[in-house]
Amino acid sequence: MNELDTPTELDTPSLSELEAQAGHVRPAFGEDAHILCDNLVRIYKTEGVEVVALQGLDLLIEQGELIAIVGASGSGKSTLLNVLSGLDIPTAGVARVAGTDLLAMTAKDRLRYRREVVGFIWQQTARNLLPYLTARENVRLPMRLAGLRAPVARADELLELLGVAYCADRRPDQMSGGEQQRVAIAVALANSPEVILADEPTGELDTENSEQVFAALRQANRELGVTAVVVTHDALVSEQVDRTVGIRDGRTSSETLRRASAGGEIIAEEYAVLDRVGRLQLPRDFTNALDMERRVRLELERDHIGVWPDKPRPEDPQ
Amino acid sequence: MNPLLLLRVHRGAAAVLALLALSASLLVAGLPRGFEATYDDALHGILDDTSANLTDLVIALRPRTADQDIPDEDGFRAKDRKWRTNLPPALTSVLDTSPGNDSHFAAKTFGTPVAGRVGPGERPLQYVDVGWLSGTEKRIRYVQGSPPGPPGVVARVPGHPELRDVKRFDIALVKSAAEKMGIPVGTTLMLGNSHTALGHVTGLFEPVAPSDRFWEHNLDAIKVTVRRTPSDVDETHITALTDESTLTQLSGVDRDLNYSWVVAVDSSAVTARNATSVIKSMADFQRFMSRENGKTITTLSQVAGFAPFELDTALVQILTDFLKRLATAQALLFLILCGLAVVAVGVIALAVQLLTERMGAALALARARGASVGQVVRAGAGTVALAAVPAILAGYGLSYLLPGPITPIVHVGPLLIAVVTTAFAAARVALVHRRPLQDRRDDVVARRSSPRRTMLELLVVVLALGGAYLLRSRGLATGVDAQGADPFLMLVPAALTVAAALMTLRCYPYPLRLVVWLAARARPAVPFVGLTLAARAKSVTALPVLILLPSLAVSVYGAVVGGTLDTTQRLAAWRATGADARVDREAELPADVIEKIRRVPGVRSVVRADKGTAQIGYGGRTATVLAVDLDAYRRIVSDAPLSVPRPAPEAAAPGIPALVSPDLANLDTFEIGWHVRMKITKRGLITGGLPGVSFTEKNLIVVPYDASKRAGSRTYTNTLLIEGDALDGAKLRAAAGNRRDILVSTFDESLRRVTDSPLTTTIKSSFVVVTIALAVYALLAVLIALVVGAAERSRALSYLRTLGLSERQAANLTVLEIAPLIVLTACAGLVLGLALPAALGPGLDLSAYAGDLAVRTYELSLTTPVLLAAGLAAVALAGAFLHAVIGRRRSLGSILRVGE
Repeated sequence: MNELDTPTELDTPSLSELEAQAGHVRPAFGEDAHILCDNLVRIYKTEGVEVVALQGLDLLIEQGELIAIVGASGSGKSTLLNVLSGLDIPTAGVARVAGTDLLAMTAKDRLRYRREVVGFIWQQTARNLLPYLTARENVRLPMRLAGLRAPVARADELLELLGVAYCADRRPDQMSGGEQQRVAIAVALANSPEVILADEPTGELDTENSEQVFAALRQANRELGVTAVVVTHDALVSEQVDRTVGIRDGRTSSETLRRASAGGEIIAEEYAVLDRVGRLQLPRDFTNALDMERRVRLELERDHIGVWPDKPRPEDPQ
Repeated sequence: MNPLLLLRVHRGAAAVLALLALSASLLVAGLPRGFEATYDDALHGILDDTSANLTDLVIALRPRTADQDIPDEDGFRAKDRKWRTNLPPALTSVLDTSPGNDSHFAAKTFGTPVAGRVGPGERPLQYVDVGWLSGTEKRIRYVQGSPPGPPGVVARVPGHPELRDVKRFDIALVKSAAEKMGIPVGTTLMLGNSHTALGHVTGLFEPVAPSDRFWEHNLDAIKVTVRRTPSDVDETHITALTDESTLTQLSGVDRDLNYSWVVAVDSSAVTARNATSVIKSMADFQRFMSRENGKTITTLSQVAGFAPFELDTALVQILTDFLKRLATAQALLFLILCGLAVVAVGVIALAVQLLTERMGAALALARARGASVGQVVRAGAGTVALAAVPAILAGYGLSYLLPGPITPIVHVGPLLIAVVTTAFAAARVALVHRRPLQDRRDDVVARRSSPRRTMLELLVVVLALGGAYLLRSRGLATGVDAQGADPFLMLVPAALTVAAALMTLRCYPYPLRLVVWLAARARPAVPFVGLTLAARAKSVTALPVLILLPSLAVSVYGAVVGGTLDTTQRLAAWRATGADARVDREAELPADVIEKIRRVPGVRSVVRADKGTAQIGYGGRTATVLAVDLDAYRRIVSDAPLSVPRPAPEAAAPGIPALVSPDLANLDTFEIGWHVRMKITKRGLITGGLPGVSFTEKNLIVVPYDASKRAGSRTYTNTLLIEGDALDGAKLRAAAGNRRDILVSTFDESLRRVTDSPLTTTIKSSFVVVTIALAVYALLAVLIALVVGAAERSRALSYLRTLGLSERQAANLTVLEIAPLIVLTACAGLVLGLALPAALGPGLDLSAYAGDLAVRTYELSLTTPVLLAAGLAAVALAGAFLHAVIGRRRSLGSILRVGE
């Protein structure tokens, strides 16, 4: 027996309160989120071997948010991004972007989704742009592929917004890596998507170029109101967004929220993610420090839950 | 996505594709034209060498009643019009309507004896037929006397009181006949023993052009025919020409008379393609003639004297024989053409793969950025089409520069290549970009094929083997001569090739595993790594195998067929001659002739023989007896494919030891009556005769050369079997005094006769051309396959080079990576090529090309095929090495980019 069984000091709801609660329609999980992943699973199956890239990932992103996703190599970041960009189909779970259910799309829906809802940027600068088209032509390409009119003005406007208007007539090999990535952002924005996804957009760039590219991303996010999801290793990026989601072993493990303090300095707070069934990933540093293995003891306190290593507590009587 | 832009960007790969498309289109459109041209050449050669009276249509009538007599040229012309208007169109189109063609009408008596002469100079056994030929005015010139005038009636003939009111014809003779038969101008001949008429010779003529095909119908008018009667005296025959007006007096009632209408056929208008319809039309025309003949009988009396119009031509026979030969040639050439087309299309497919691979990144990006499959396919296939179609059109256009008639395949072939190329590109792009995700994770494990695929492959193999079995047991469909090649014959090699390719792909890893296991135990790393790469490489795709395999199979098949043909032709020539040269005479060869022949340059030795017919015992049974020293004969043909039995062991005198044919085996000792009577003792059997010396296999007795001498006479010689080097038939003939009764034949002449038969050269040279083309394609296939995977390979190699792999080792690695594929495919191709003749054996009758000797077993001389396979493999490997050597010039830094 422990304290959990004797919640004497807690507010116990009365029966009528409970009934009222049950009668009240609770909003579904992430109902108003712009991007919703619920228990998302992606398994690569090739004869005999299964690679579980995403193992029940939960993620909620609000409209107009700019978030970074960080994680070690192989943690499932890129898989998540491929799923969100409609290039890959998840095995199970729920994935919804701007009201589109990514698991229930036909090939036609998927094409429309890629044309109208998302835009994306890859890590390799060379891979984002067709090497033999100029920046302007590259920006117009998605519009033309979607069968839209592709006014030059619109392309120039986007290039202008991202600060690479002077590159409009250059081909990728005549631009720096940073310029290429900013043009790539313009390409991603060409069809006015609701979401842009960037997979390590600064991965191949030096600090100065990285800053420029990230600034361009943030500008697009703020000025066009596009929801932006950036997968990154780059501390420079992850430290400048409002929210950083950490992924470990195919699950969201932590979230870092940043807010400006009264004094104007940025305060970052790291949170562990509690999923819908109450699972929590403890940071490895914490568990190592306290030598926690296999089992821990939990103690519900008035305003928190204590997690104790499975060892006799010093204050406990033997 | 603008295909033009893509084309400009990937112009290198596009140029490769364009070049291949052009060459394939040129080959597929040009080769059949060349083939057809040689078929036609062969046919025209045959027709031109054949006498016009065999190739032209001759409609003949032998009038027996007066109402069938035709009194003037107009009568002939009316019938001619009738024939011509009722000829089927296929025949009309091959008629010779050029001015001066040899169409004409003729009325000739036949077998008209000269009963005597009015006046002196009578000669016995002369026959002078009276004939009228239309259109002779321009074809003869009178060298003496004047042209015949109109006929008349002579009331009395001096010296022949029994002849009263006899018809008189003016006739003209060819000058040579007049001289030979002693009939000068002014002679009056009494023609016919009954209904005698007088033939008054008014003039002598000479043909303007004796070689004119017109005279081939009327040789009897310009050349005396000498016929030896059984009583050993010569009869002389000639046809004298007379005037048109004489027709009124020439009646079938009086004497044997022939009318004929010659409808000239233009041999150059008959081709390999319309030959079938000509044959069919001829049958139609024959039916028309029968109907016409039926209509002419209207009264009972006509039945008794019924004389039908008869169509007389050997054209059908000639064309049928030709088509039979042609069917084999066509089947063979079609077979190798199909092989070539498959390989060409395969290499084009590889080039398409190269181009689409190059475009892959752009198309994938476009697909990810919202291009539909349709858009991507349009861009990809459009680019391929832009590169290939103009090139195919150019090849098609260039093929018009080649000689030869245009057949449907000339149009269909390039069209098919264009369609297949574009469709393959579309299918490939659609498959690769069906899903927009670029990063496929099929690197995790090797893909294992599904049971469904295994079943499908098994089905193909079973079908191919079943087809081959059926073809062997059933042979070709009937009516091949008339309807062209049996499609089944074409399908079986294709199915066998696909089956062999599937089995190669399936079984490829097993021998390799053993080699890898061995290599892993050896010290050097390069073989192990290279072979391991080979075992795992994705470059082991079906395409290079599907290209290398048929190219080798067709080359090897060609070599086997060519080799077999060669051997059989030589065998046929040996069997025709029996030695390097042979001299025959019915009677005994004079000793001085033998001596002269012995001294002809090149003659090394001469074996004398005596051949004749002898009476067995005293009955009526005869046998061919050959007296020859078999040991000596065997020595001179020791290097020829002729088998000569050992001579019969000696027998107790006075018996002469002999080898007898099996049908005489029951006679142990018997007498024969030859030059002298001799007693023969059977001491052995001779089966199959002695080809080249004695063609009979039955009733044959071979005795020692001195058999007659042993029997108390002397030796005789009427046959010489000669061994020598570079024997010249003309010199041998000259040594024999150029006598007509001494026949000289040499091996070289016999061989030339066999090999020069039409189409043989075509078949052989086609095999050579196609083999070279296939070798080039095989080399290209390997090179393109390597270039397709070049980026991936150079990255892999560069990683290895950072670990200390030298450039030389890297090149070796590339060669080792591709070598197992080439070597194993070469082996499979070799086996398939060697198996094909056996599989197709009964389907293709090569005997027409081998001196009519049946080609039963194919010569499995392995040298040429193995050399071919090894050569092709070596060329392909050299290509791999070249690729590796060129590839190593690139710097490591340009391939390995840190951070990627």
